[in-house]
Amino acid sequence: MLTTRRVLETFKQLNISHVVGLPDNSTAALFHELADDPDIYLITVTREGEAFATAAGLWIGGQNPLVLIQNTGLLESGDALRGTLTRMRIPVVVLVSYRGYKSLPTPAPEMLAPDDLSRREVDSVATLLEPTLHAWNLPYELVSDNSELEKIQAAYERAQSEMRPTAVVIAETIR
Amino acid sequence: MFDHLSSLTFNFEPMLTQHEFLSPLAARRTDQVIVSTMSLVRAWGRLSKHELDFAFADSAMGHAQSLALGIALAQPQRGVICLNGDGSMLMSLGSLVTIAQCRARNLILFVAQNNTYEVTGNQNIPGAGAVDFHEIALACGFPHAFHFNDAREYENSLDKIMQLQGPVFVSVRLEPGAEPPPNRKQTEDTPYLRGSLADSVHRLKEALRNEA
Repeated sequence: MLTTRRVLETFKQLNISHVVGLPDNSTAALFHELADDPDIYLITVTREGEAFATAAGLWIGGQNPLVLIQNTGLLESGDALRGTLTRMRIPVVVLVSYRGYKSLPTPAPEMLAPDDLSRREVDSVATLLEPTLHAWNLPYELVSDNSELEKIQAAYERAQSEMRPTAVVIAETIR
Repeated sequence: MFDHLSSLTFNFEPMLTQHEFLSPLAARRTDQVIVSTMSLVRAWGRLSKHELDFAFADSAMGHAQSLALGIALAQPQRGVICLNGDGSMLMSLGSLVTIAQCRARNLILFVAQNNTYEVTGNQNIPGAGAVDFHEIALACGFPHAFHFNDAREYENSLDKIMQLQGPVFVSVRLEPGAEPPPNRKQTEDTPYLRGSLADSVHRLKEALRNEA
């Protein structure tokens, strides 16, 4: 189980100054908490590409932002990620909610056939997420329980030490 | 038979030259961060060699204003000016809502409206001549938005504009130019284009830290 309280505690342990992103069903509770949080400034954007560029500017200006978006938004905003955080070598953690995770077949197919992306019972954005993260050279960790939240810290430390964005994929609704 | 006419621009609005747009701004600039993009990168670089100039080039078209917003929110005591293009602005109109929502008081967003994609050879942007950017900005919640097509009126208004509590939006009707795409090469005449994008970002961060 993932809880807003523990996720927020993790953000605060990392001295996150701003969360920039867009809510979805699985992160809605966290966005509600962030909207009233006195320590972390929430910036809700209209499209996910804005989040990467805004986070880049915040970091340049001396702040410590984090991006929080859904996997659909990540796919939408690939060039913004490439042209800002990645190409600028900015150490920001990108939290990506894993819509459709539970619809994925196991084991995942090694090569995707057209049918793998059109089957009604499988959410194709879930099918494409991890191959996309690999293709875009965005290292990631998977988190689905409070006991795994230290992976956010590990992703943060890796981002700082390698001067690059890193991702944490949230595979469970945050309650 | 007359379908092709719909893609032509019939616009007899007066226009500023690029120099008439940027030169008065350069003369008034003090310690603001300047984020330039697309055809304005070299044009601004010919007028300014300030360490707080940043070329949003070799990056991601359509996002210069969002990066400028981030800097403005991070450094609320420092002015931030974004020199954006109209084609770039169209790519992320929603960011106007985000900027207005964030009430970045220290941000001025200029849009150079030449109605074309200049660096690819002046193809018309969608809605060329029909889009009213400053009305869009007002409708998105900007407290101040202006449009200029007269050089004297623009220059006479600039002091007041730079003192307003933002975010401020300014569209300026410009003549189409002939700037090629901005590149990052050692041989560039414009110093802020000689380093990599990453080097430029880290230099700007350091400069802001040193000036804090």
